[in-house]
Amino acid sequence: MIDLSASFAGLSLKNPVLTASGTFGYGREAAELYDLSLLGGVMVKGVSREPWSGNAPARVARAPGGMLNAIGLQNPGLTHFLEVDLPFLRRYEMAVVVNVVGHDVEGFVDVVRGVTGAPGVAAIELNISCPNVKDGLLFSQDPQSARRLVEAARQATDLPLIVKVSPNVTDPVELGLACREGGADALSAINTLVGIAIDPARRAPVLGNRTGGLSGPAVKPVGLRIVYDLAAQVGLPVVGMGGIETGRDALEYILAGARAIAVGTAVFRDPYAPPRIVRELEAELERYGFDSAAQAWAAANPQAREAVS
Amino acid sequence: MRQWELVVAESLRPAEGYVELRCEAPEAIETAPGQFFMLRAGEGPDTYLPRAFSWYRREDPRRVSFLFRVQGPGTAHLAALRPGDLVPATGPLGRGFPLPGRPVRAALLGGGVGVPPLWGLARALRAQGSEVLALVGARSRAHLVGVEDLRAEGAQVLVATDDGSTGYRGPLTDLLPADVDVLYACGPEGMLRRVQEISLAGGPEAYLALEAPMACGYGVCLGCVVERAEPDPALGEYGKYQRVCREGPVFAAGEVRF
Repeated sequence: MIDLSASFAGLSLKNPVLTASGTFGYGREAAELYDLSLLGGVMVKGVSREPWSGNAPARVARAPGGMLNAIGLQNPGLTHFLEVDLPFLRRYEMAVVVNVVGHDVEGFVDVVRGVTGAPGVAAIELNISCPNVKDGLLFSQDPQSARRLVEAARQATDLPLIVKVSPNVTDPVELGLACREGGADALSAINTLVGIAIDPARRAPVLGNRTGGLSGPAVKPVGLRIVYDLAAQVGLPVVGMGGIETGRDALEYILAGARAIAVGTAVFRDPYAPPRIVRELEAELERYGFDSAAQAWAAANPQAREAVS
Repeated sequence: MRQWELVVAESLRPAEGYVELRCEAPEAIETAPGQFFMLRAGEGPDTYLPRAFSWYRREDPRRVSFLFRVQGPGTAHLAALRPGDLVPATGPLGRGFPLPGRPVRAALLGGGVGVPPLWGLARALRAQGSEVLALVGARSRAHLVGVEDLRAEGAQVLVATDDGSTGYRGPLTDLLPADVDVLYACGPEGMLRRVQEISLAGGPEAYLALEAPMACGYGVCLGCVVERAEPDPALGEYGKYQRVCREGPVFAAGEVRF
């Protein structure tokens, strides 16, 4: 029997498999297919203070080994989340991680404050890395403004605070260190990589937003590299994501230093991917001689781990 | 909605560039006209996302067929499948065509790849005692699909082609008689727009089956949205768009702006 549980940053997960924000809505659709209690948790679609419409279509485009998206954080807003979506998610035994978005510090902090104290919220994920909205990367591009945002959020909540950092920066480690300085409990990485798709027939970009975020198996090596660097050099627990399709991919992220992982784009191709990856991860851990997910994590780089645990 | 391992039973070539993939399901699948499936269309990097296809002819609840035009790596992959090959599928998905529930005179307009969902609709309408006029459009005679299959369901079929190589030369909507109770349309955007205009200008009620670039097909990616004609003010900005895969793919003419 493999112990899949994961405990870090004040979060206690029955297994280390989460669903990545923006690929799972608020769980309602997947719940038609399987019991969400099979998951370690759900990182919900980004929640803003007011409802957001998202970007004009087209919002998705094909890309080799994945896809581009430019949804633009369409979401029904904080009140709807608290009154409708959170009560639904609370029916399941798994961690609800609320992904928070905003146009400015106040916008972020109001949502952080709004979900703090709401029963059933396990943690907050500050999304400072969405490439598809104006100002989406504002807080990622300057580590000091990231630090100030995290500080403000830190003062507004006692919930575990995870910051989702961007791969679209020169040095993700510098950004991670600034988030740690601001009071982050953990980091999550990666968000999508900025790209563009061109339609020769229209002689124009395919996406309504012109640029979009690349995700899927194509980005896995980038995700692994950034998770590896963050885990080794920042000294905060990391939730790893980017191109995870199988239990083997999940194990690779754990061995790169992730305490937990999130499944994103894979659910578009296989709606059952998250519970499948839980089962496959268990088999992979056994195959490589681990008794637990935590043991695999600790085995990868014991020196870097000491600073964290 | 469920996941299925469909098995290819037969692959037909009904017209130039078109393939009808007839598949066997492990058990009976219940589908409504206008609903669709997401089919996994290859294992290589160029076919990562599954592709949306409405279901076509179904004589048997354990069979489901898909009729499509080969136009990219995904459809090329599906076109190359042989009997016995597996097609992982998720479905049925979406909200299909509403049926009147009483005998009416219905006109069905299908252009090109928009023809497949009309087959199930024609069958369901005929079962309710409706008169079905199917207007089928194509680029040319060689690209025409569905005509015989629709006739076999008791539909009266009229044909239009862009080049006049068979039937009427010009837009399908020119063939619409004045005395129909309801319009159903699936096909190119220009045709859908004309049907919408006709309906909203005091014509018969109309239902449009829309297509949109789609990643998931079951409502989680928010990639396939189309504007709501009359957003619910209670939803604020969030109400601007609706999902083709969930709230659609079939919309009443007055529900969408595109």
